[in-house]
Amino acid sequence: MARINNQIRRLRFDHGEMTQEELAQRAGCTRQTIIALEQGKYVPSIELAFKIAGAFGVSLEEVFQYEA
Amino acid sequence: MSFKTYTAIRMVIIIIMAGLIGWAVVNGNALIPVPVIIAALLILLLFRRRVKEVVVDERVYSIAEKASYLAFRIFGIAAAVIGAALIALGWESSSDLYKIGLTLAYAVCGLLVIYYIAHIYYNRKYSGKK
Repeated sequence: MARINNQIRRLRFDHGEMTQEELAQRAGCTRQTIIALEQGKYVPSIELAFKIAGAFGVSLEEVFQYEA
Repeated sequence: MSFKTYTAIRMVIIIIMAGLIGWAVVNGNALIPVPVIIAALLILLLFRRRVKEVVVDERVYSIAEKASYLAFRIFGIAAAVIGAALIALGWESSSDLYKIGLTLAYAVCGLLVIYYIAHIYYNRKYSGKK
């Protein structure tokens, strides 16, 4: 089964232990959504994916990877 | 205002509203509940606007979509089966069972019509058709 992995937890760590709340505010979503994303329970829309990548200042591919 | 504060205020308003409505019902006053509900909704709306946090996002909408679709399927199938059974049971006598069955059957038909119209609308909205 295809799966989309993400590096949100690691990127938060790399950005000075950015809190889930702070990332949620920057990306314009709730903290629950960030928790669900980190646990791999939710796949975001393209828009939210871009916002999260933008919050870290990296490209989309650095945050999300498609695993066929 | 944080969402936590808003939730606490909302709880207090709901308790006051329930108390007032309960008091009105006990005293047989049918006019009080209407302005109470309107006032409570307006106050809640005012407080809701002061919440700066993101409370609802795409994940919440996604959950709502899934829940709505599941509820639609469960209600549709259950009402259709129960409606048909009640119509069959009350067919001969034209009893209340028959009327309830007919009401359920019409409710399912109405639900399907709304679903069909909504489906056409969204299919056109999210396709290249003009």
